[in-house]
Amino acid sequence: MKRFVLGEFEEPHACVVAVRRLRESGVGGLDAYSPHPLPGIEDALLLPRSKVPLVALTGGLLGAIGGYALQWYLNSIAYPITVGNRPQHGFWTNIPITFESGILIAVLSIFFGSIFGFFQLPRTYHAVFESERFRTASLDKCWVSAETEDEAALEELERKFREVGAHKVHNVVESV
Amino acid sequence: MAETASDLRAQLEPPPLIEGRHDDGTLNKTLNDFVWRRPPRGWLALLLLGMAGTGVLFTAITITIARGIGMWGNNIPVGWAFGIINFVWWIGIGHAGTLISAILLLFQQKWRTSINRFAEAMTLFAVMQAGIYPILHTGRPWFAYWMIPYPSTNSIWPQFKSPLMWDVFAVSTYFTTSLLFWYIGLIPDLASLRDSSTSRRARVAYGIFALGWRGSARHWHHYKIAYLLLAGLATPLVLSVHTIVSWDFALSILPGWHTTIFPPYFVAGAVFSGFAMVLTLMIPARRYMGLKHVITARHLEAMAKVMLCTGLIVTYGYLMEHFAAWYSGNPYEQHVFFVTRPRGPYAWAYFTQMFCNVIVPQMYWFRWARRNVWTLWVGAVLVNVGMWFERFNIIVTSLHQDFIPSNWAMYYPTWVDFSLLFGTICFFGTLFLLFLKFLPAVAVSEVKELNHELHGHRGHPGAEGAHP
Repeated sequence: MKRFVLGEFEEPHACVVAVRRLRESGVGGLDAYSPHPLPGIEDALLLPRSKVPLVALTGGLLGAIGGYALQWYLNSIAYPITVGNRPQHGFWTNIPITFESGILIAVLSIFFGSIFGFFQLPRTYHAVFESERFRTASLDKCWVSAETEDEAALEELERKFREVGAHKVHNVVESV
Repeated sequence: MAETASDLRAQLEPPPLIEGRHDDGTLNKTLNDFVWRRPPRGWLALLLLGMAGTGVLFTAITITIARGIGMWGNNIPVGWAFGIINFVWWIGIGHAGTLISAILLLFQQKWRTSINRFAEAMTLFAVMQAGIYPILHTGRPWFAYWMIPYPSTNSIWPQFKSPLMWDVFAVSTYFTTSLLFWYIGLIPDLASLRDSSTSRRARVAYGIFALGWRGSARHWHHYKIAYLLLAGLATPLVLSVHTIVSWDFALSILPGWHTTIFPPYFVAGAVFSGFAMVLTLMIPARRYMGLKHVITARHLEAMAKVMLCTGLIVTYGYLMEHFAAWYSGNPYEQHVFFVTRPRGPYAWAYFTQMFCNVIVPQMYWFRWARRNVWTLWVGAVLVNVGMWFERFNIIVTSLHQDFIPSNWAMYYPTWVDFSLLFGTICFFGTLFLLFLKFLPAVAVSEVKELNHELHGHRGHPGAEGAHP
């Protein structure tokens, strides 16, 4: 059963400092929650570089190649239309749709890659929402959580949370 | 002039981006206030009017589908008329939304933050209106899906060498990108609506669309990059869309259409009309929705400047068109620019266009005109009218007197044409009113971030943009 210790902070900056101090004191499974991106939180949590650009590049290239191949195959092999003896395979006239399909697939892969892949959303349940107070995480407060399986470690974690300045600390249990 | 240094300084200092002192809590309350408030009478009355007009639109669409496009005033030679004028007009209006949300984000223009949600919604709804026309104009709209390359038993495929096919791809990509960009920006705000809702119904409804967003730092980390990349992709996309729309004209041989200046001139015109529409909608909305503290005089002034600048680019386009016609020595080109447009039967449309697009925006050289909501609003409405007439002149005036005089004919729109134009304006308004009521019209999480950036920690006056 997963357990989370949650701590609420007033200030975004205090939250970032607290995360750094908790990590340095050996607390694992940390995460922070805030209504807007916290400057400096990536360093505090030691997050690796995001792979979103890689997804976008792959999607964009595949889209552009696919778009070009589609036009080439359909207009010169599957269904050639002769107009004024123009070449069936028109490189220049293929550029606009190649560009558009590159953008389209890049955008779709960024969006769905982020939602399904990086965010692991949509999800109907997460243990942090067990705390009624946690609503403020999307409104005007910042929260820090630490995940643990060990019930005995909770007390120690709560003490550490208070030490770094969390003014409300409690723990929640995942109910599934 | 006996002005002290501090007077001058106060004059040069721009108005603040966010008026007054706020924290995340008060921003939540004031920006989402309109969503939680009982629908005001004025809003209900406008919605009713909009829905009535939407009824007119669907009636006109039904008549067009049932009896064919013979119900429109189109003829030969004026084969493209209201349908394409309105299409280009609406697409152009949409472009300002992408410019504000994507291009100004890349240029780190802080003033975009409070207006980007609003402008993006305008883009989406405008593109939806635009899409109606070409689909109806195909004559058999129930076969519109033939434009999409899909494997059918006929083994017939689209002709990709036609700019009209490019348009299909450009506009559908544009719509998809705008929708996803808008939605990904909305997710954190939907989550905050979910968390501040008092009724279970609202909580479930916003909860579904918020997808379970919990504002985790691990998510924000990817989110910021995804948002920036979407902006980076939307930027060349928006330029390509109106470029491709202009190729619908420029790649033909008709005098008045066959011009290399069309792509940049169309893009500038699109941004020009789009900013005019943003101002037209925003000036009343910020007042009635109580958003004056985040959409300040600074925002309105910046938009007026963009309008002035793009208006000048458009004016340059007009000058260049006339110059190229004269310099080409081509009698057909010269006929369009020096006879048909200024002296033909549609000269009134030509002079309306010139007055609204060239003369009117010149008042924004003066600060009083950029700071007064009335001059801003009236100017913006006139620019919208002027840009509609620009497309009228490009399409109808060029077509009605093309080459052989025996082929010339006048064009008169029918009541169905007018109903479609009026109807899309109402449909657009209806969608917009619903948006204002059910979703946060200002990107709340972005304004919170900007507020922290401007004012530092709560209570400590911060750096740039902070004011006493």
